[in-house]
Amino acid sequence: MGLLKDFTDKPIKHNPVFVLVLGLCPTLAVSTSIKNGVAMAIAATAVLVGSNLLISLIRRFIPNQIRIACYIVVIAGFVTMVEIVMKAQAPEAINKALGIFIPLIVVNCIILGRAEAFASSHGPFASLMDALGIGVGYLLALVCISFIREVLGAGTLWGYRLTPVTVGGTTVVPAYVPITALGMAPGAFIVIGLLFGFFYWMGNRRREAVRLTATPAVPQVARDFPKPKKEPAAEAGGGETGWAEAKA
Amino acid sequence: MEAGYVELAIGSILISNFVLAKFLGLCPFFGVSRRTSDAVGMGLAVIFVMSIASAATALIYRHLLLPTTVNHTNLLGVLGLPVPADGFVLILKTISYILVIAVLVQFVEMVLKKSVPGLYRSLGIYLPLITTNCAVMGIALLNTEAWRDPANGLPVHKATFNGFCGGVGFLLAMLLMSGIRERLAESRVPKALRGLPIAFISAGLMALAFLGFTKLFGIAV
Amino acid sequence: MADPVTTYVIASGVVLAALAVTFALLLAVADRFLRVYVDPRQTQIEEVLPRVNCGSCGYGGCAAYAEAIAKGEAPANQCTPGGPETAKKVAEIMGIQVADFVPKVAVVKCQGSCEYTRERFRYVGENDCRAATATHYGQAACPYGCLGLGTCVRACPFDAMVVDPLTGLPRVLEDRCTACGTCAAVCPKNIIEILPREQYVHVLCRNQDPGRATRQTCKVGCIACKACEKACPVEGKAVHVGGNLAAIDAAACINCGKCARACPTSCIGDFRRLRREAEKGESAEPEAA
Repeated sequence: MGLLKDFTDKPIKHNPVFVLVLGLCPTLAVSTSIKNGVAMAIAATAVLVGSNLLISLIRRFIPNQIRIACYIVVIAGFVTMVEIVMKAQAPEAINKALGIFIPLIVVNCIILGRAEAFASSHGPFASLMDALGIGVGYLLALVCISFIREVLGAGTLWGYRLTPVTVGGTTVVPAYVPITALGMAPGAFIVIGLLFGFFYWMGNRRREAVRLTATPAVPQVARDFPKPKKEPAAEAGGGETGWAEAKA
Repeated sequence: MEAGYVELAIGSILISNFVLAKFLGLCPFFGVSRRTSDAVGMGLAVIFVMSIASAATALIYRHLLLPTTVNHTNLLGVLGLPVPADGFVLILKTISYILVIAVLVQFVEMVLKKSVPGLYRSLGIYLPLITTNCAVMGIALLNTEAWRDPANGLPVHKATFNGFCGGVGFLLAMLLMSGIRERLAESRVPKALRGLPIAFISAGLMALAFLGFTKLFGIAV
Repeated sequence: MADPVTTYVIASGVVLAALAVTFALLLAVADRFLRVYVDPRQTQIEEVLPRVNCGSCGYGGCAAYAEAIAKGEAPANQCTPGGPETAKKVAEIMGIQVADFVPKVAVVKCQGSCEYTRERFRYVGENDCRAATATHYGQAACPYGCLGLGTCVRACPFDAMVVDPLTGLPRVLEDRCTACGTCAAVCPKNIIEILPREQYVHVLCRNQDPGRATRQTCKVGCIACKACEKACPVEGKAVHVGGNLAAIDAAACINCGKCARACPTSCIGDFRRLRREAEKGESAEPEAA
């Protein structure tokens, strides 16, 4: 089914962080540990699903000039709901870690971008699938970044400290000193930069192969042309082919 | 302890630089910082929006959302509406802040279009994108939420100053970044790292440098 | 103490209504004083233009070109990336006739690869042809020749140029080239020219040194031997040798390719087969990978 294919395509092909390059601010800030990353992804997905659905339901009634303002109001409503739910239900540590980035979901480019690009021109079910697809993509991106930052930067995995593990003589998990800088601001930038580079490299390999095989041949120059057969009659003076003249 | 102006300035510009330490305002940071002229224009626009947004949101927070205290009154209470114990903060903060910011950006757009059309055109799509700039919304939230006085947030004049300093920090980071990117454009960068990846890595190194400002003059932010 | 839900609802309504009214008033007043009159046709034209801001129209960007068209100062067919379709649409909006649009393409006029020429010194510096040229005309043996550092490739806004891995020279991917002129503008040696696509035969050399000197610097450089002039069947000759360099007069040239065959150093190129194959490829498979 077309929509289902969209749903499986979107997380990778339209990944909001690595392909669309949207929503970088919260991504970098909360990816210090996988728990925070997953919490943020769930919150953002909840807002995305709600706003996509509602906006695509009321899309025909919104005048064109004020549509962005309307989208923002709808998104702010859902963000307030998510904020209150998280304050009530989520563990204190998560709330403290996510801090102002929960209300900042309202200015997350992903949500406004999908509302503008997709929900405003597609039906409710398609918008719902789009929201879920993008949300899953966001989750994958966040898990990717926070995995690296948590394991290498804090030495824990989902909050459990990584102790050295030896299985039958081979060290599965070595003892290491975590790189604290990875858990702080510089580490975030460098890790995401390297990840971007990695994904570009993978994409480039495929694209360059296509581009260079599509390159057409060079223009023909004199050395490529087949030598014309010698015609003794034409050679005498002012011949049509230039070969005789050139050799002279 | 009341935060002094110098503390606010150093805190917002150097120690907790909005872009390099707080991760706010990254989209225009990487989008507009290719050329220094664009970066300066964007930075100035953001300073203006951040200052006025801080002022407006601080006013709204103190006089519309917080319950009446010794320092300030809640206007809705004056109108006769019963105000709950912790005010309307939870429900109305996000939406009123974003409304203020959206209107401000619209206003700045109109002013720029009329007075400096060249700058308006070169900023292009990034001017309306200040609305969704995490830095502007972030400074509004930070002024009113934290800064050693969670109950009341910063007073309006200090909030405005903090917004101004946050914008200056943003401009500083953009200037530094555009200088680096202009040099990077001519360097031999490995193919996979060209463009965004190397810009991120440069930002990371800048952030590393700015980490050195922690606890500068004993200011704890 | 009233029911909190009612309180919240009323409070939300009052606050948001008050804010909305205040801001609406503010924006309305601002609009009254800050309105900029824009010709509606200008906005329409801006939407039709490709928005690449390459400057090949001669204006500072698509917005500036749209403004000039709306004011009546610019002709409608200057946008080369947009092509004839854009010119037609712009002419429709303005209600004018548009002159015929000549499709053009960029041509790199140098064949000096490692096979045919050499470097005078090893260049270490900024990876930019403009910087290299400032160092004694660059590291190539021929002072007029391509340096192969790829400034034009990086400058192309349509990804229509690629550095050929075998020769080290830039190659134009003609199906993607929109003749915007960016590559020609950045090349410090003026090696790239924007020429009509109908012109198939080009002199692929810029060397204006006497033939003896050229023979020593580049095996495929023009030595001004005039063999091409003699081979040209056109009356009055479509190719002339001046300043030690052959030049084809596109107006007179009939694209027969005889000069290309006649050239002893193979410096004249015939793009006929290349472009015919590209056209055939296009009509056979409209969507190549």
